[in-house]
Amino acid sequence: MQQDTLSYDSLDSRPLPKWLIDQKSGVTGYQPEELVMKEDHSLEISFIVTGVFIVLLAIFITLYLNKKHKNQAS
Amino acid sequence: MKKRKFLAVILLAAFVSLACTTRVSEWVLLNSAAHQYSLIYFHKGFVSESVKKQNQKLAEGISSSNIQFKSVSRQEIAEPYYGLYYEGRFFSKYKTVDDLKGLTSSPLRKKVAAELMAGKLCVMLYLKTDNKEKDEKGLNTLHSAIESSPFGKIITVLELSRNSREEHHFASLLLNVEDDLKDIQEPMLFGIFGRFKALEPLLGRGITEENIHLMIDYFTAECSCLIKDDLPGTDILAPDQWENPQTALLNKIIDDNPSLGY
Repeated sequence: MQQDTLSYDSLDSRPLPKWLIDQKSGVTGYQPEELVMKEDHSLEISFIVTGVFIVLLAIFITLYLNKKHKNQAS
Repeated sequence: MKKRKFLAVILLAAFVSLACTTRVSEWVLLNSAAHQYSLIYFHKGFVSESVKKQNQKLAEGISSSNIQFKSVSRQEIAEPYYGLYYEGRFFSKYKTVDDLKGLTSSPLRKKVAAELMAGKLCVMLYLKTDNKEKDEKGLNTLHSAIESSPFGKIITVLELSRNSREEHHFASLLLNVEDDLKDIQEPMLFGIFGRFKALEPLLGRGITEENIHLMIDYFTAECSCLIKDDLPGTDILAPDQWENPQTALLNKIIDDNPSLGY
């Protein structure tokens, strides 16, 4: 690993070997997978679908009962 | 046919899992061939028969090491000389063939190679300045760190004076691991592993127990692709005899104490 001898003024400011920097920062091992939170709309979709289903079912039952009553009345 | 495919898949999976759990020190010893040095004889165009014979003998003598010999004509040079290069970096200049005696091998290098082939984790080579006060401070730190390490028994500590006559080629190679080391009059600690690969050293006040433990951690780490693709260090010139090393002693320690493997 070559290092630029002119890049430091004293021994204390001499750059550390790359392997040591890597060891200190822990990049030589396998990196744990970064967990990224994604937006989850499944609950909203579920509510909407359920609501639409209930409304449609109510309309269907209302129409069905209306038709049944009309038939019985006639 | 299906059985064969199944077996192949199992073997491949076993190989992949083995590759992932092999430790850095063992993986480098088994798989990473040492880089080649170049010894170049620079001359002005005319080479006498006696020098040709001398160079042929020299080339034969060093052929079993990680070095190749070349002869190059250059009109601008004042007189012929030998130049030692590694990966395009100039290391040393030698006026005569006598100066090259012991270039590729020496007693201490044989000892280091023998330790690596015996399955040791690494050799920690302490390069002394011959300033007693400076040398002892770093050496005490080194011994203390080795004693407190669970891997201490599989690490060999060797000492060498940078002014050693017998090992002057070895000392010179170590001082060429980085461009500026020759100008730094401080004790240095080289971690040597694999096929005689020397890590960039800890030096002077950088020889601390913490840094020594980090060096040991590097050697005992699982060999990730990140490490394989960007191996640090410089291969030291030595006889190229790395066939059939002993099983890494590290494996037994980790098998007995799995918590040390993480």
